[in-house]
Amino acid sequence: MFTNKIFKLFFLSALFCASLFSYPQISQDIKDKKIYPIGEKIYKSKCSNIDTAKFKTYDALVSSLESKKSCGDLNKNHLQALSLYLWDVKRHNSKIYPKLTVTNKDKCQVCGMFLHHYPTWVSRINYPNGETYNFDGMKCMFKFYFNNKEGIKDILVQDYYTLKTINARDAYFVVGSDVYGPMGHELVPFKDKKSATTFSLEHKGKKVYSFDEVTEHMVRSLGM
Amino acid sequence: MKLQNIWFVVLACKVNLYILEYSIKYIFRDKYKNIFIVIVMSLLVALLAATLFISNSMKAKYNSIIDNYPDIVITNQKALRDSTIDENEIDKVLTLKGVTSVVARVWGHYYFLNADKKFLILGRDEFETYFNPLLNQKMNINKESMLVSKDVKKILNDNYYKKYFNFIKSDGMIEKVKIQNTLDLDTSVKNPLLIIMNKDLAKNIFQYKNSEVTDLAVSVANKNEIAFIATKIKILFPNARITIKDDLRVHYENIYNLRSGFFLTIFIITFFTFFIIIYDKVSGLNSEQRQEIGILKALGWRVSDVLNAKLYEGSIISLLSYILGISFALIYVYVFNAPYLKDMFLNNYNLLPDFKIAFTMDYETLALLFFLSVPIYIAATIIPSWRVATLEADEVMR
Amino acid sequence: MIKLLNVSKIYDKNVIALDDVSLTFQEGELVVLKGVSGSGKSTILSLIGGLVKPTSGEVLVDNKKISKIPDHFVSSFRQKNIGFIFQKYNLISMLSVAENILLPLAPLNLSRLEHKERLAKVLGLFSIEDKRDVVVKNLSGGQQQRVAIARANINSPKIILADEPTANLDEKLSIEFIEILKELKSQNRTIIVATHDPLFFELDFVDRVIEVKNAKIVL
Repeated sequence: MFTNKIFKLFFLSALFCASLFSYPQISQDIKDKKIYPIGEKIYKSKCSNIDTAKFKTYDALVSSLESKKSCGDLNKNHLQALSLYLWDVKRHNSKIYPKLTVTNKDKCQVCGMFLHHYPTWVSRINYPNGETYNFDGMKCMFKFYFNNKEGIKDILVQDYYTLKTINARDAYFVVGSDVYGPMGHELVPFKDKKSATTFSLEHKGKKVYSFDEVTEHMVRSLGM
Repeated sequence: MKLQNIWFVVLACKVNLYILEYSIKYIFRDKYKNIFIVIVMSLLVALLAATLFISNSMKAKYNSIIDNYPDIVITNQKALRDSTIDENEIDKVLTLKGVTSVVARVWGHYYFLNADKKFLILGRDEFETYFNPLLNQKMNINKESMLVSKDVKKILNDNYYKKYFNFIKSDGMIEKVKIQNTLDLDTSVKNPLLIIMNKDLAKNIFQYKNSEVTDLAVSVANKNEIAFIATKIKILFPNARITIKDDLRVHYENIYNLRSGFFLTIFIITFFTFFIIIYDKVSGLNSEQRQEIGILKALGWRVSDVLNAKLYEGSIISLLSYILGISFALIYVYVFNAPYLKDMFLNNYNLLPDFKIAFTMDYETLALLFFLSVPIYIAATIIPSWRVATLEADEVMR
Repeated sequence: MIKLLNVSKIYDKNVIALDDVSLTFQEGELVVLKGVSGSGKSTILSLIGGLVKPTSGEVLVDNKKISKIPDHFVSSFRQKNIGFIFQKYNLISMLSVAENILLPLAPLNLSRLEHKERLAKVLGLFSIEDKRDVVVKNLSGGQQQRVAIARANINSPKIILADEPTANLDEKLSIEFIEILKELKSQNRTIIVATHDPLFFELDFVDRVIEVKNAKIVL
């Protein structure tokens, strides 16, 4: 009986220790939308001098933050948010593209329309020598792309749901939906396949394509 | 022939001082009638201008206030009455594609018995991002302190609370909160009695248990999707009241809608009065006036000269009325803040209980009123004379 | 030189004012048109002054077919060449004497100095300097007529047309008018007077008397 108790105690404490710091299972959406923004804010305001490369495991990072109080006295939620932000986002330093902004004078390279009327549809092609071209919507961008495939540095579009700038070559496009762009029927861009599929279901889209699957014929059939 | 035509046009463009003199004397010959017309037309222009100035100013104001509202607000309801919502429901909303962020808001009112005043308390977490820019300012609020607006500070002072305040909670316990600092607020809108404090402290005072919060404020990046997402949220939260920012805008649009009853009455009265004036002018000249035009023709005045005289006459009266009317409206609205008329716009349902009307150069209104009044009056002056002037002078004088 | 060639004027309601009239007036002539009211003499004046257009026929002044040119140019022509004295004076009663007299000059946009000079000259000519700023309605008949004459002369017209100028005047004032007429004749203007006042028929400085009866010239 005594050994039973010790065994239980050991088991429970092991469990307890394990659950203390181990990397939490949270959905990506919640992490992106709720946790990282808070973590980022804490990082920027309290301890922007932390070097994330120093830590080999998630647990090491958390215990360091908690013991050294390098970012001040944080409650449990804030601590978790900061840790996840530092571990997931800061470490990878994944490429964040700047927002695609246009002035009153910018026009679409292909159709000549003024871009500032439809800021959420602006797309851009950059060349290594610094040349950039703007487009209103995906149709115009693709029309340009198919005629000028060589030497392009990036193709940037805005994810429909978050309006964040993403690399078109990693994006997914929905055709045939009830959402119209400035030039009528459009390919609607998304940063991942799941978003594209959700959108397609809700807005009666016909099909989801990756960047490479989009053909010149497809774009032409969408009309002017 | 062509040279003469060009000369004709040039003559028409230049102001002939003698004809101008004639027009001015003509106006003074009918002194009282013309003064009456100027006064009436000025008042009409002033009334319309003032109404439009106030309305446009209010629209701009409430639009900018609504801009700071969340795209969607989810308020839980029990028995169709507003209730609190569980913070953890946020995760449900975050799974919806298109939702950028959700904030669990803690806010509410506190009734201060001694002063018979209601305070608005906003809870704030320093690492969250809110819609209201006031809450996003960089400010350090201690966990046991609060920031108060100037009005609140004064009320507390008057009630002998100088450095702290005792909130009485619903269970009868007292929560002592220190006054850390005073807030600087935008004075062009009448502000509620505002207190900002730490979210947890606010939860304490409102006696929210565990993860209770007042409501959820949802932000949607692509405005196109707001209605769609609102529908999805309604399905997720069948008991909740969902408020969409655009609906609010439409609601207030309708109140200040220029087609609503109050404006309509003003417009009808104004146009009707104006119409009467114009009708009197257009319905022709009396025999004396016709004779005079005939005399001028006989003396060698061409049709263009006669019309020039009428043009000057009409312009002087209408331009004078327009300028007087606009000036009066500008002073009335922007200097005196539009007493009486402003009250017609404000009522219990609106967003702006009382506010100082900000000065903006409302070119659209100015242009609108100009083109509605001046050219019409000038036309009404010229047209009847045109007919007479083109008749043969002899016939007119008989 | 003024010519009327086969001129007829019919007003609506079939009132025949003139029936196939042909006349010629030389420069510098003083002609009296004699006839009763309604005989057509006033119509002749109106035709020469371009105030009406003939129903048929032509009116030529200095070889200009004023019956055919557009109203704009007729007015200009009238402005430069014609001084009209109406039976009822046709002054603007609420304006002053000076304002009335200067009215014909307004479209020309001359300088103020020019206006002043011409006004002074004409006021002196017809002895009304002291009435310069009096409102016309406060003047007597004779004074008003002088204002009318002054107005007709402000632009130094070549042709002066007077329609029943003495109809509203007593004998004394009529004689005064005739004196003025003599003065004007000496300035070599073409003057045509339409009247049924017998005072005019025996004047020695009248070149011709033409009788107008029932819309025709009596030869």
